[in-house]
Amino acid sequence: MIYLITAFYSEAKALIDHFGLKKLYEPSKFQIFSGDEILLIVSGEGILQAAIATTFALTKFGASDRCIALNIGICGAKEKKLSKGDVLLCNKIINHHSKKTFYPDILITHQMKEASLESFLHPVKKDTFFGEIEGDIVDMEGAGFFEAASSFLAPHNVQCIKIVYDFLAYEKIEPQEVTILVKQCMPFIENFINTLVDLNLKFCTNIFEEEKLRQIIEKLKSSLRLTASITFQLEKLLKSYIIRHENLPEEISEFFNVNVNSKKEGKQYFEKLKKLLIS
Amino acid sequence: MKNSKNSLLAKHFSHIYIEKEIISHPITKIILDKFPNSVLVEIDNYKEVFSRPRQNYKLQEISKKLILAKKKGEFLYPGPPLCHDFGYNHFYYTSLIFNCIFSCDYCFLKGMYPSANIVIFVNIEDYFEEIDSVLKRHPLYLSVSYDTDIMALEKIVPFFSMFIEYATSRKDLTIEIRTKTADYEVLQSLKPSENVILAWTLSPQEIIEKFEHKTPSLSARLDAIKKAIENEWKVRLCFDPLLFTKNWDEIYLKFLNQVFEEVEPSKIVDISVGVFRIPKDYLKRMKRVFINEITLFPYEEDQNVCTYPYDLKKEMMDVFLSNLRKFVHQSKIFVI
Ligand code: SF4
Repeated sequence: MIYLITAFYSEAKALIDHFGLKKLYEPSKFQIFSGDEILLIVSGEGILQAAIATTFALTKFGASDRCIALNIGICGAKEKKLSKGDVLLCNKIINHHSKKTFYPDILITHQMKEASLESFLHPVKKDTFFGEIEGDIVDMEGAGFFEAASSFLAPHNVQCIKIVYDFLAYEKIEPQEVTILVKQCMPFIENFINTLVDLNLKFCTNIFEEEKLRQIIEKLKSSLRLTASITFQLEKLLKSYIIRHENLPEEISEFFNVNVNSKKEGKQYFEKLKKLLIS
Repeated sequence: MKNSKNSLLAKHFSHIYIEKEIISHPITKIILDKFPNSVLVEIDNYKEVFSRPRQNYKLQEISKKLILAKKKGEFLYPGPPLCHDFGYNHFYYTSLIFNCIFSCDYCFLKGMYPSANIVIFVNIEDYFEEIDSVLKRHPLYLSVSYDTDIMALEKIVPFFSMFIEYATSRKDLTIEIRTKTADYEVLQSLKPSENVILAWTLSPQEIIEKFEHKTPSLSARLDAIKKAIENEWKVRLCFDPLLFTKNWDEIYLKFLNQVFEEVEPSKIVDISVGVFRIPKDYLKRMKRVFINEITLFPYEEDQNVCTYPYDLKKEMMDVFLSNLRKFVHQSKIFVI
């Protein structure tokens, strides 16, 4: 599942349209939209809101090894070297208040610039804020989202993508403008999601390749002296176990070096193995 | 969603994480000069990145990052009981680098560390200072390449050459540098030192292909060893770990013949031999991430160490040693 977390509906709108998501009438305080393997949740503004919405989504709809969580939204940029509309992948996320820092694992190629993000509990306006800003960009959600999502998922599957909206001087956010900015960034966002999905599919699976499974079956067949029909049963058991657990049980190795003296003894071992595999 | 056809993985060291405290350290500068295109990310402490929960070791292995840090606290540790001390009284090891550019299926680092990223502690001067202070009390036999392959990493960080230069001027110091590299170039500009033992781990080509991913071939390692011997470096051979696999006996016998056809036994300082062994907890962690011939084997456990069942271990050692003794005198062979 791909979880998309945005603060505002205006940010979500471009994603909803692009991926053809439908509103989910799930009783909750959040607006939720879903589509093919995608779930979008609108968290509302703030670090805490982002953390609550992320935790809610990942608890309610499940977090497996291959799930991805993305926080997508607008941000303010500290310096003019960035431009309005720049789409940025965050390589460091700082909670301004707790000083906790988070680092997504960036294992894939992408076409975005990278930046460090600092999350605040309040809007940061340069005329009125005199503290130090460590991040290149600021927002009000990233750190909350990241801390929550990384309690469930691997750090390569938790990422923040931010789009520059202003330079810490805004008066008012224009929802339509926000939707347009996110829409313009969709090629980058979609490409990034696709690559991350591919990475998880290609490398993050423990499902045995056919060849490896064959070797294991051959090993068990000869050590337990199994007949052809029982070997066939074994294959089915192994495959269904792998599908269920994405792996084989550790204890299976105990059956590799057994040397049975008769087919009867082999059958007894097979029964034990069967018990293990149907667990 | 459509599948992207773009190349998927970021290059090794696409990102370099640097502790703020050592940003202007000279070793940091040397390293950064080698990676002008990497993204630099400032951090407060290397553990923020290295020890993150739920990292995927297997994925990180294919897109490794560098973490530059400052070592604090202890610099030297007593030699672990699972390693040879070669008869030295004061056997210690030190870790300037965590993790390695190679990827051996049996490597204990896979069970020891939460991440496959490479940590380099740039403050080598503090290590030297600590070693100097120990040398005032007693001589020292120091292994400097246990948690990594320092010689293979020389082109990224010049610790190998710095250690050799340092050791050369310290009378009571012997350093062992364990390696699988075949890159002789890194030795070329260095003067051989009496205080340095270059310890090459050798395995049969079949084992290298099956279990020692990304490492140089046996013949390439043997070429490097021959050159090192010619240039009067002290060389140790490590036949460790011996691995059980199909036809292991034939494979290892052919291997010994190949090694000693190329290398003159009298020119070797000594040899270490040991079968695969690993702390139980490390193996347990490795099993969670890697499913392969090494992790699936039904080992026997004794005092929290897993190794081959007694009879198999004995058979492997007997067969290997009896053949090794045909080439090398017993007095040069250290067994664990
Ligand atoms: S060369 Fe040594 S340190 Fe490197 S992966 Fe292999 S066993 Fe581990």
